[in-house]
Amino acid sequence: MARTLAMFTDTSLCIGCRACQVACKQWNELGMEQPEWTGTYQNHAHFTDATFRLVRFIEAPGASPSGDLAWLLMSDVCKHCADAGCLDACPTGAIYRTEFGTVNINQDVCNGCRYCVSSCPFGVVSFNEHTGTARKCTFCNDRIHNGLGPACAKACPTESIQFGFRDELVAKAGKRVESLKAMGFKDAQLYGADQKGFLGGLNAFFLLLAKPSTYNLPENPKVPQRNVVVDSLLSIGSAVLVGLGALLAFRDRGKGDGGGHA
Amino acid sequence: MLKTPEWGMMIVLYFFFGGIAGGAYFTAAIADNVGGRRAARVALVGYLLSLPLVALCGLLLIADLGVPSRFLNMMRMLKFWDPMSLGAWAVGVFGLFSFVSSVMCFGPFEHLATLRRRIGLVGMLFGFFLASYTGVLLSATAQPFWSEARLMGALFLASGASTGMAAVSLILALTGDGPGHGLARVKHADRYSMIIELVMLALFLALLGSAAKPIVSGHFAPLFWGGLVALGLVVPLVLDFVGHGRKALGAVSAVLVLMGGFILRYVMVMSIQS
Ligand code: SF4
Ligand code: SF4
Repeated sequence: MARTLAMFTDTSLCIGCRACQVACKQWNELGMEQPEWTGTYQNHAHFTDATFRLVRFIEAPGASPSGDLAWLLMSDVCKHCADAGCLDACPTGAIYRTEFGTVNINQDVCNGCRYCVSSCPFGVVSFNEHTGTARKCTFCNDRIHNGLGPACAKACPTESIQFGFRDELVAKAGKRVESLKAMGFKDAQLYGADQKGFLGGLNAFFLLLAKPSTYNLPENPKVPQRNVVVDSLLSIGSAVLVGLGALLAFRDRGKGDGGGHA
Repeated sequence: MLKTPEWGMMIVLYFFFGGIAGGAYFTAAIADNVGGRRAARVALVGYLLSLPLVALCGLLLIADLGVPSRFLNMMRMLKFWDPMSLGAWAVGVFGLFSFVSSVMCFGPFEHLATLRRRIGLVGMLFGFFLASYTGVLLSATAQPFWSEARLMGALFLASGASTGMAAVSLILALTGDGPGHGLARVKHADRYSMIIELVMLALFLALLGSAAKPIVSGHFAPLFWGGLVALGLVVPLVLDFVGHGRKALGAVSAVLVLMGGFILRYVMVMSIQS
């Protein structure tokens, strides 16, 4: 495996220009969509089969350093989780991990079962009705295999989205949190940088200015497939009970054909 | 901001028929192995019922794919921790058992009854799997309503057993249960399954707590409480206990159980998806 690549999205630098969202659309040839009214500048409300980068506009009362309304901006994207729910769920092997550590969906293999859609803890994967397949951010798979960074990172005018080797970016991100804290952003924190943390760390990780829940991000996301063992054991327990009931009912009491009531 | 897979009626039906197929086969296998000659018709009906249902399951599963022609891609791999992958294989394997058991109920194979019974015991395990894995599949997602109780598989299994037995009993009631009292025995077994299902359902709701909102309140609630709990479980149980084996009442209760089994899958799959 090659050295793990990552994207570091520093939301404190984001100005909400959506260059990333547009660059993603253009490079990946994602089609036009019906806009949605979300009550803010944000469009769309969620990731779609044609929106892989999505700038979120969040108004959070009391979340600014002075205790006022905070206007938080966050360019969101597939996290390329080290332990990815979508990848574990995929029964066809269409979802795979590249040598750079990113997670990608092979469009020629996916058969559209949609299990990945409900298995991503962040609601990233979307189903495309026309192709009948699941779609999401590819980490610009074609670009990174040709020595380029993802289109979104390239387009970002403020370096809110940075691309590079994971270990280097994490070190850089740590320093940035320290200086933001010194500037009074007491809730500044990294999300998904820690490889010992949830999901084995995110290869697209974030610097947030408030609690993850303020950004509608789960505080402690889990890989859904980890539920299988407990659930299966309980199912076996249920099978044993039902089986015992049937044995009781069918057991041949007495001999011959007499006493035919159960 | 989780996403739902937008599984629709085809998946609800698949879960429903898969439960009946697994339950009917398992009932047949038990009847075949411990029921003696008097339960011979139960075994025959159970095996034969599972076959068209599992075939239908396969078709529904394929038709629901975004690209149905690529269904064989599921066979590219076998992931032991992935219900979607195991399930696709299990439908095929169970279908094979169902076919072999059905064929072995007839003429030239009758002297192989012992072998058929053995096969039934193994096939039964796949039947259990087919009836329950769909629940485990739902709980292995990021949706709290589907996953947090950890009992969806156990619940679907009990429901698969009760609906499988109800279907077998209904066919026996309509076509006559032949010599012996197979029908009464299926009914007896079905009562146990229904009681287990009720207990599972109560545990399920208790464990889910506030995450159970999509079915216990809101516009799926009448269907859940009225259609499943009352009409689909409590009323049939009462009918069976006070009916004293009267055939017509037994048939009514079987129909109600089947309806309840469908409603269970329907509310579980659809309540968080619309
Ligand atoms: S964020 Fe979701 S879609 Fe992206 S890798 Fe993780 S689980 Fe998969
Ligand atoms: S929809 Fe496609 S990518 Fe998603 S789990 Fe199914 S086969 Fe895999």
